[in-house]
Amino acid sequence: MFIESRELLIKHKIPVSRISKYWKGLEGGIVYKTACKKCGETYYPPRAECLCGGEVEWVEVDGEGIIEAFTTVHAIPKGFEWNKPYTIAIASFGDVKIMGWAEDVEVGDRVRIKTGKDETGVWKVYFEVI
Amino acid sequence: MRVGVVGVGCSKFGRRDDVTIQELAYEAVKEALDDAGMVQDDIDLSVVGSVNTRGYELMPAVPVNEYCGFAGKGPLRVEAACATGTAAVYTAYTSIASKMADVAIAIGVEKMTEVDTATSLAIGGRAGNYLWEFHQYGTTFPGYYAMHASAHMAKFGTSEKQMAMVAVKAHRNAAKNPKAHFQKEITVEDVLNSRVITYPLKLYDCSPISDGSAAAILASEEKIKEFGIDDVIWLESAGYASDTSNMTNRESFVGLKATVLAAEMAYRRAGIDDPVKQLDMATVHDCFTIAEIMAYEDLKFCRKGEGGKFVEMEESDIGGKLPVNTFGGLKAKGHPLAATGVAMVYEVVKQLREEAGDLQVDLKNYRGLIHNVGGTGHFAFVMLFRR
Ligand SMILES: [Zn+2]
Repeated sequence: MFIESRELLIKHKIPVSRISKYWKGLEGGIVYKTACKKCGETYYPPRAECLCGGEVEWVEVDGEGIIEAFTTVHAIPKGFEWNKPYTIAIASFGDVKIMGWAEDVEVGDRVRIKTGKDETGVWKVYFEVI
Repeated sequence: MRVGVVGVGCSKFGRRDDVTIQELAYEAVKEALDDAGMVQDDIDLSVVGSVNTRGYELMPAVPVNEYCGFAGKGPLRVEAACATGTAAVYTAYTSIASKMADVAIAIGVEKMTEVDTATSLAIGGRAGNYLWEFHQYGTTFPGYYAMHASAHMAKFGTSEKQMAMVAVKAHRNAAKNPKAHFQKEITVEDVLNSRVITYPLKLYDCSPISDGSAAAILASEEKIKEFGIDDVIWLESAGYASDTSNMTNRESFVGLKATVLAAEMAYRRAGIDDPVKQLDMATVHDCFTIAEIMAYEDLKFCRKGEGGKFVEMEESDIGGKLPVNTFGGLKAKGHPLAATGVAMVYEVVKQLREEAGDLQVDLKNYRGLIHNVGGTGHFAFVMLFRR
């Protein structure tokens, strides 16, 4: 025997003020990482402060990446049920690794980085096989 | 000061529509108390491990603690994703070792089937770093491990067939474990032909969504003498580590660094340099078949890249060089997150006491290992137990 619980819908407001340049960058086709001016550490996802206390600057990620891992998701989670199976990949671009959506990739493929908006209006990174 | 396990309990794992989280917890607690020959009053501290992001009771520690008869003795609530169980055991262990308690109980309990599968996937997919993973890319828990599998296959030639062999072994053992979620043997073909969940992982590569509970009672050596308990399994050594929340910040995807570091710590403290020779059995965190293959390597049961071969050569079977996941593993016994780590203690204690029935391994060293991973290598605990 069951009793149904009262419904609880949760939708959060995520503060992105300190890294707003990243999100605006995606809209302009640019993927940013941050780099510390003092110790040289780079951050992706970007963070607005370095652990060493130094000031960070915004640096564009570009050039060729190499696919290190990927999966094609067939069992779709809630929030993505509008979509067909999709492929998530991780590619290395020099000193950072980046997650993105891709099509028909294999580990070792060379890719270019792009940005785009999915059907729900969320901006993200896409990889294009070279 | 030595700390020993004096009582263990474990519920039936599976879809447990018949019980609330507190009723489920009490099944394991009752068994553990009976096993130790103790009553609630003998316990100083209760540690309740529960993730319970899928259950209706979002803050379950107090209801669970009260229902089990420990009101006033805690609870300390512990959460470390899928490693919550061992985090609870570690908390009980250090409380006793630091003399803040003489007898402590670690309870791991999880209700996972109160929501639908798509919701469950969306919760598990939030295990890393939400904004950069789930929000943008729709990561799922199987998806994270599938990415590891793709990297392992590309680098070492690990095959889907070798991964399937992990599942076949798990089901073979679980078939003899009445508390396991699944009691059905499967074949390599069954695994290879099952539907794709997230390439390259298929349905039978994945642990099920299970409800379950487990409990372990730990006590100081002094208290153990006072109670006149002679059959004690000592917690010999414990190691812990963690890794980055974002998968993209990991050095490599062919293993879990947190496991390597936790094992090094536990091995160093116990003087282990050849685990296959020095241990009689191990339970490792096989939430997905690839996870068990990586665990063999990261725990130094074999060299990096040879995990697929290790299962193929039947080294991890009961009767093999080092039996692994003798009660069916997360894969077939079930993986109720917080219960998992404590159920590993249950398994190692039953094995070292020679109470494992049809699943009993041969004992030479009277030493066993447990390995419990939280998230996708976000946390790792490795513990060694000795009779
Ligand atoms: Zn810096």
